[in-house]
Amino acid sequence: MAQPTRVQSDEPQSDPRKAGAQAHGPVPIGSPTARPAFDDEHPPSAELISDCVHCGFCLPTCPTYTLWGEEMDSPRGRIDLMKAGLQGAPMTDSMVQHFDACLGCMACVTACPSGVQYDKLIEATRVQVERHHTRSPGDRAMRAAIFALFPYKRRLRALRGPLRAYQASGLPKVVRRSGLLDRLAPKLAAMEGLAPVLEKREKLPERVPAVGQRRAVVGMLTGCVQGEFFPGVNAATARVLAAEGCDVVIPRRQGCCGALSVHNGRQEEAERFARSTIDSFEAAGVDTVVVNAAGCGSSMKEYAEVLADDPAYAERARAFVAKVRDVSEYLAELGSVAPRHPLEVTIAYHDACHLGHAQGIRQQPRALLREIPGLQLKEIPEAEICCGSAGIWNVLNPEPARELGDRKARNIASTGATLLVTANPGCLMQVSSSLERQGTRMGLAHTIEVLDASIRGLPLSTLGPQ
Amino acid sequence: MSGTHGTEKTAGPVLGTSTDTVPPEATSATGTPGDKADAIAAVTRVARAALPANGLITDPTELRTYECDGLAHYRVTPALVVLPETTEQVAAVVRACAEHGVPFVARGSGTGLSGGALPRADGILVVTSRMRAIREVRAADQRAVVEPGVINLDVTRAATPEGYYYAPDPSSQQICSVGGNLAENSGGAHCLKYGFTSNHVLGTDLVTPQGDVVQLGGLAPDAPGYDLLGTVVGSEGTLGIATTAIVRLVRLPEEVRTLLVGFRSTDDAGAATSAIISAGIVPAAIEMMDALAIEAAEAAVHCNYPDGAGAVLVIELDGAAVEVEHEYEQVERLCREHGSFEQRLAIDAAERALIWKGRKSAFAAVGRISPDYIVQDGVIPRTALPEVLRAIADLSSSSGVRVANVFHAGDGNLHPLVLFDGEKEGAGEAAEEVSGAILDLCISHGGSITGEHGVGTDKAAYMPRMFTDEDLDTMQLVRCAFDPDNISNPGKVFPTPRLCGEVPGKRKKPHPLVEAGLADAF
Amino acid sequence: MTTLTRLDAAREALRSACGDVADATPADAVDGVPAALVARPASTAETAEVLRAAAAHQLTVVPRGRGTKLTWGRPPESADLVLDTSRMSQVLDHAAGDLIVDTQAGALLSDVQTTVGSAGQRLALDEPVPGSSVGGMLATNASGPGRVAVGTARDLLIGVTVVRADGVVAKAGGRVVKNVAGYDLGKLVIGSFGTLVVVTEAVFRLHPEPTARGFVTVPFGTAEEASRLVQTVMNAQLVPAAVEVDWRADGAGTFGVLLEGTPAGVEGRTAAAVRLLGTGAEAAGQPPHGWGVPPWDDDAPDGPRPTALKLTCALSGLGPVLGSLRRAATGAGVPVALRGSGGAGVQYATLPGSAPVDAVATVVTQARAVCTEHGGSLVVLDGSPETKAGVDTWGPVPAIDLMRRVKEQFDPERRLAPGRFVGGI
Ligand SMILES: Cc1cc2nc3c(=O)[nH]c(=O)nc-3n(C[C@H](O)[C@H](O)[C@H](O)COP(=O)(O)OP(=O)(O)OC[C@H]3O[C@@H](n4cnc5c(N)ncnc54)[C@H](O)[C@@H]3O)c2cc1C
Ligand code: SF4
Ligand code: SF4
Repeated sequence: MAQPTRVQSDEPQSDPRKAGAQAHGPVPIGSPTARPAFDDEHPPSAELISDCVHCGFCLPTCPTYTLWGEEMDSPRGRIDLMKAGLQGAPMTDSMVQHFDACLGCMACVTACPSGVQYDKLIEATRVQVERHHTRSPGDRAMRAAIFALFPYKRRLRALRGPLRAYQASGLPKVVRRSGLLDRLAPKLAAMEGLAPVLEKREKLPERVPAVGQRRAVVGMLTGCVQGEFFPGVNAATARVLAAEGCDVVIPRRQGCCGALSVHNGRQEEAERFARSTIDSFEAAGVDTVVVNAAGCGSSMKEYAEVLADDPAYAERARAFVAKVRDVSEYLAELGSVAPRHPLEVTIAYHDACHLGHAQGIRQQPRALLREIPGLQLKEIPEAEICCGSAGIWNVLNPEPARELGDRKARNIASTGATLLVTANPGCLMQVSSSLERQGTRMGLAHTIEVLDASIRGLPLSTLGPQ
Repeated sequence: MSGTHGTEKTAGPVLGTSTDTVPPEATSATGTPGDKADAIAAVTRVARAALPANGLITDPTELRTYECDGLAHYRVTPALVVLPETTEQVAAVVRACAEHGVPFVARGSGTGLSGGALPRADGILVVTSRMRAIREVRAADQRAVVEPGVINLDVTRAATPEGYYYAPDPSSQQICSVGGNLAENSGGAHCLKYGFTSNHVLGTDLVTPQGDVVQLGGLAPDAPGYDLLGTVVGSEGTLGIATTAIVRLVRLPEEVRTLLVGFRSTDDAGAATSAIISAGIVPAAIEMMDALAIEAAEAAVHCNYPDGAGAVLVIELDGAAVEVEHEYEQVERLCREHGSFEQRLAIDAAERALIWKGRKSAFAAVGRISPDYIVQDGVIPRTALPEVLRAIADLSSSSGVRVANVFHAGDGNLHPLVLFDGEKEGAGEAAEEVSGAILDLCISHGGSITGEHGVGTDKAAYMPRMFTDEDLDTMQLVRCAFDPDNISNPGKVFPTPRLCGEVPGKRKKPHPLVEAGLADAF
Repeated sequence: MTTLTRLDAAREALRSACGDVADATPADAVDGVPAALVARPASTAETAEVLRAAAAHQLTVVPRGRGTKLTWGRPPESADLVLDTSRMSQVLDHAAGDLIVDTQAGALLSDVQTTVGSAGQRLALDEPVPGSSVGGMLATNASGPGRVAVGTARDLLIGVTVVRADGVVAKAGGRVVKNVAGYDLGKLVIGSFGTLVVVTEAVFRLHPEPTARGFVTVPFGTAEEASRLVQTVMNAQLVPAAVEVDWRADGAGTFGVLLEGTPAGVEGRTAAAVRLLGTGAEAAGQPPHGWGVPPWDDDAPDGPRPTALKLTCALSGLGPVLGSLRRAATGAGVPVALRGSGGAGVQYATLPGSAPVDAVATVVTQARAVCTEHGGSLVVLDGSPETKAGVDTWGPVPAIDLMRRVKEQFDPERRLAPGRFVGGI
């Protein structure tokens, strides 16, 4: 209990205006020997921080603030912590804990009337955290396992199928020993019960020709989790694009886009994935790169920042970013030509954070869905609050993630819809286990699968249990 | 002066005369730093025993996130933050504070714009953000019973299914707490017709500065005895901590029409406002924004306000459908007669929401057109509006300081936003000067230095311009009755604390602060 | 009582403080407590002088407006000086464009209404007891039917000037409708029965006078029916200006709704109300009998003063409260009549002056328990001296300690109307 006596100023009588200045001069608070939190290499920008006017409008949309009601686990508080870091406060465990607790859902960016670019701030901060903070052994092991598993399609494949999660012998030791599989297994099981046609894994050709007159040539990212757990989504994406007149190029050699690394401050890894993704799509010679996973799309749109310091890639990254489109964004731009068949279904549309908040894409998927005759679209209450999936966050923070997932599931159920539609594999995994826990049986589908079913005139049953 | 300064660099632009006259904060908790540390340690022990383990914040870095409210240029790191979940926990902490002479400050969502929730370095910050249960929605009683940390808008969300809503709607309603509203007597756009927080809070459980829990008011009106509730509402946390609020629910109106009207000038818009009120119409809201404010809102939320407008009015009419229809015709005509060039009636909820979003985001949105700004809050009689707006424009052009105006035109509550760039030498001072001059304008027109944001830390020094020593002394009699030791949010509202020692039977010898020359005894 | 010499000295001092000081007559007695002197200051400054003189001579002081509600509350312990505000009777300023009025406290409420009425405006305070002064209305917080729509004095008073027991003049609030600078002392003064300060000036917000009014009435017989009618109207889209319940001693009840607004709107809503209230509902242009008048005024003025009760409860408690009052009265063998704002949860009731004290006490105890259960209270506003002596007039008051501390700060010597208010304040 030493902390309370370590107050800023022994002079309560002093003018608070000056107290601020006194308290936060260059002398770091906390341990006087500690290093300041951030080094000079791209710390969170003081200028971006200064855009925050402390109005608090972002608080109610922040999942961690709604969970815990604490300032330091709110966007405003995290910005304050960054400011403290810039002013010389050391990177304490507690400071890191609050940065780590951020889901990166970017709801705060949407909510902020003052235009604070929290996305840039937290990403810069995470890189600093990775550089300067030593995590606990358990945390390290879990993270190592995650980053040894997710970006690798072959390893992910070992997890597919109901019981394989436990066998998973094809996985590296670091993964098997970490306890990661125990955390994933129930989610995988729940998801397999709800998501459409998980079993079927169609092999996609390298080029899918346009149906009818060709209107464009587009590249398509297959993604890791999407590709392995929701192969149907990729197949549907290719079919819909083709139906709308696109030649779809699917480079064989594409790997992970690096979304998890970008969003978790693993700078070098992120750069590596970004370079190779750029390489493969440049080689494919496409004008547009279409992405169907919200998390992947949002990180690919950030490549310019990721590779800003790489002279060989900076310019190419900027050019690449200009080509990246979420599939719904692209289809809305393109305008539809393929006729839609009716689907008599009431759906709840869930804005994946990395689509809605991070890419600002909300109207396009809704507009596409509304084009389907017979389809009724319901809005989910508290739509702006994250479902708790947030990349790897739910694996690292299972308890709060479950709370958020349950909250989301309750809101989804309240719409009375029979099919949940969203655009991110993580959300589908996360929400499915919450829905199952609460006993709500409803189908889960990606936006593009619904479009695919409508264009092909498939029955509803192909979209999972109704 | 009220300000929202985005940057540390603007922290404390020299605040002109007011800086020098901000008095020392005084409590009876005087003593050496060592004594204070002991006292805080003692309160911390009690809090640790009374609250859940995660209900105390002692980590210095974490404490810093509580150092300011929505008025970010006043910053003080509290000695301890507690996050109680129940009235009993609040009472336990406050009792310990009383016993050890430790000042405490209540905080809701920390959106206040007058530094009301500014902590004390030698005190405890009691944050209500975990007391956020809506205990009851009693539609048949037209009341809701809520905890103080409940977000304003959530009361309406909870009551809407029953056909009711909570009327006071500060622009910050998506995040400000009912407890903070109660303490500030917050207003909002719809208060023109429906009244302010004080008209809508019917009861509270108050933890007194001694740590006792008293019930003031209740589900029924007119509780016998002094209307202490009426005094507690708007007392900015200086009379104790509200841990429950019983609020009035208002029936959702049958019909709502939201009208966005574009004018060439604020003069025209002001004249239209006066004409509407003089016609005997009480709209639910009449809000005005000038060109600069429109520009900011447009940048932030793309609210699509009329092109080239020198001012817009957002007028909302609500009530029984026939009455609304009738009023709408008159309002439409009066606006036209006073030079409106575009009138847009929101056709659905989405359009209505967008119109309001522009208005409600305006303060924070000004961050997009100016690096720094001060949000001022003053009131004038509505009829003085054109004159005062012109005077503000003159001030602005003579000083070169840009001023954006967003305000509740219906009740004369101005929110001039004084823009500046803290990086520029002298800009902060110039802005403070303009901001202060605007307050003087309000006072000289028989108005008030604050219509809804409160006095807090920021305007305590201005109180003597509006009130005599006797007025302030009399108000502080109430303070002495509730908080004779001056530990409940000390240093706010009043420029000089009144010492309560002269009450018969109480302290007889001169107060230590008087001896130290730190306070006046009346 | 003061001794003769003290009285002479006090009279002397008061005369130099104020141009109008007289010896009290029996008619100046306050609820049976004889007064010695009456001072009628003409201004705030004079009021301050009078109070300073009273302080110097240790006189107890009872402020009086027009004396229409001087028997409300408990009788004061003593009343050396009656401070009469009737010479401060000016309506000082009506700023029609700003919808406010500034008036001296001794002004007749009816004068205020005449002044503001000329501009098509009104001070939306009912006047249940005719002839009231503004200050008296504030001190007793009397209210009528209109409170459903616009509230009571606490919702309309925006500024006050007061004189403290020590003669210090202070003001709070101001002349603008919206104002949060400093404590709202006006609220504290409202309903304080003259025990805290003397109000000398008040500023109110005004409302436009509606262009049309319409009444709809329907008879009822039971408490449950009355309650159901109230709920029906409050839940509908009628935007009522008043929702009144009038339940006579003989058990016949009239439920009434007032609708205000534009002619077309009132017509439409009146028709809707008639439909909603069902059989027996009738529309009228004029208020029904007894509208806005407290039920005790129906009684014959001779004989002992009838007991006047004020009952409050949460809206949903109306049925039980009405029922229990009627049952308690029947059980005690006394008739009870009740009238008040069903829409606000505030009822006035009366028992005849001739009712035995223990019967009154029984009714009060039983009905009070039900009011309390439903979040409200029961106060005996007025009654014969015997009744006031024999029943707990104010009932339990939750924050009484805090109220005593407030009184102690404002009036440490208990000079102002001592004993008249809750808990012996
Ligand atoms: C962008 C923006 C727009 C705004 N618009 C408006 C507006 O339109 N109208 C308006 O009136 N205000 C407005 N405000 C100001 C602010 O939102 C209100 O004053 C609000 O009521 C503060 O609530 P809070 O929960 O944030 O309280 P805080 O800022 O946390 O506290 C405010 C004061 O209340 C006290 N307090 C808090 N909780 C309690 C409690 N439980 N018991 C006792 N005291 C307590 C604190 O000590 C402090 O003095 C705006 C603010 C912002 C940032
Ligand atoms: S990104 Fe999401 S979790 Fe992180 S601070 Fe913003 S709202 Fe909160
Ligand atoms: S909404 Fe924006 S400006 Fe307001 S506190 Fe959050 S980040 Fe800061």
